[in-house]
Amino acid sequence: MGSSRYPVRASLLVGALLLASVYTVQSAPNTFNTALPVAEGQYLWREQLVLRERSDNGPMDRDVSVQALGSVLGYGVTSKLAVFGVVPYFFNKELDVTTPMGRIERNTGGFGDISLFGRYTLYKKDFTGSTFRIAPVFGLTAPTGDDNDRDRLGELPRPLQTGDGAWDGFGGVVTTYQTLQYQVDGQLLYRENGRHDGFARGDETRFDTSLQYRIWPRSMKGVPGSPSFIYALLESNVIHRERDELRSGTDADSGGTQWLLAPGLQYVSRRWIVEGTVQLPVAEDFNGDALEDDYIVRVGFRRSF
Amino acid sequence: MIRKLTLLLAALITSITVLAADNQYVLGVDGLACPFCGYGIEKRLNKVDGVTDVQVDVGESVVHVTMQEGKVLTEDRARQAVDEAGFTLRSYSVAEGRTGGGNGQ
Repeated sequence: MGSSRYPVRASLLVGALLLASVYTVQSAPNTFNTALPVAEGQYLWREQLVLRERSDNGPMDRDVSVQALGSVLGYGVTSKLAVFGVVPYFFNKELDVTTPMGRIERNTGGFGDISLFGRYTLYKKDFTGSTFRIAPVFGLTAPTGDDNDRDRLGELPRPLQTGDGAWDGFGGVVTTYQTLQYQVDGQLLYRENGRHDGFARGDETRFDTSLQYRIWPRSMKGVPGSPSFIYALLESNVIHRERDELRSGTDADSGGTQWLLAPGLQYVSRRWIVEGTVQLPVAEDFNGDALEDDYIVRVGFRRSF
Repeated sequence: MIRKLTLLLAALITSITVLAADNQYVLGVDGLACPFCGYGIEKRLNKVDGVTDVQVDVGESVVHVTMQEGKVLTEDRARQAVDEAGFTLRSYSVAEGRTGGGNGQ
């Protein structure tokens, strides 16, 4: 049990981060949401490839690799209310660990837990060439992924499964200030994870910020129409997770706080956005022993129609 | 030679017809600050009956709308379309004597 707790926790965090980070579909941060509008009747489609590596330097020499695709479809119900569906697909979730039996590899793949959420623009103030908006976000994650996959060694650790078997709820608020030259977004989000079969992931609180600065065109003077923009991105994600609940107690080696920084680039045209970031850990303070992030690569596109 | 002159005359008449037929409006839109966001305005305005072309100018925060002959874009209808896109109509004016191009979609 002890040997499986770390990868279990790591996989849970991977899944939670993946879901929490694929919400964005407007011209916006790459790792979280935005308050920018979706027009009534407008669809937004996003695909984001996520490659994440975690490891430790302990005697178990654990490595966790995730290759996943987050698919998002958004729709503007009204100019203020937009709804989104998020479907994660795991090409591979893999754990490599050294055991008394030698080095073993356990992996799985498939569709994960689907999330549905709504975002309502509570406040907006538009100026010529800029806007400020505040929008609450509320949603649910359904247990649609497989939560009892097995391999030759038996049932996979719970978090290595593509689903966790529980309904989760989340809510928060996102704010955006956008000008022609730059955009700043901030998000505070709380996720309450449900319990299934005696286990619940620790609830999660995250605070995300993003700066997108237009580096091309250098100036908008004399540039007619809707030219494509290139933004330089710098995003920050501070994530705190409570300890996982296990039967009637908690797992001492779970939960903690993590701070990630993500530089990146974003190409924004009239109907397409192509983007990429690399999230790097700045500080991690986990309870007990834990895996550390090496990096998280996110590349993808968004399409408006 | 006569054939060329005839073609030239026909092209001239067609141009004059277009000039006379199309009418263009200039909408000042607040809140517009990136090209991707502007597509929502195009989408809503293209749903207005008679709109043949929508051109968003992000840098100037204006939208040029071209209507078919005989069709009118009222200020109320323009405001509604801009609101539906999630933005704010700042100004509304008719650009006399200008012509539009093809369909913005």
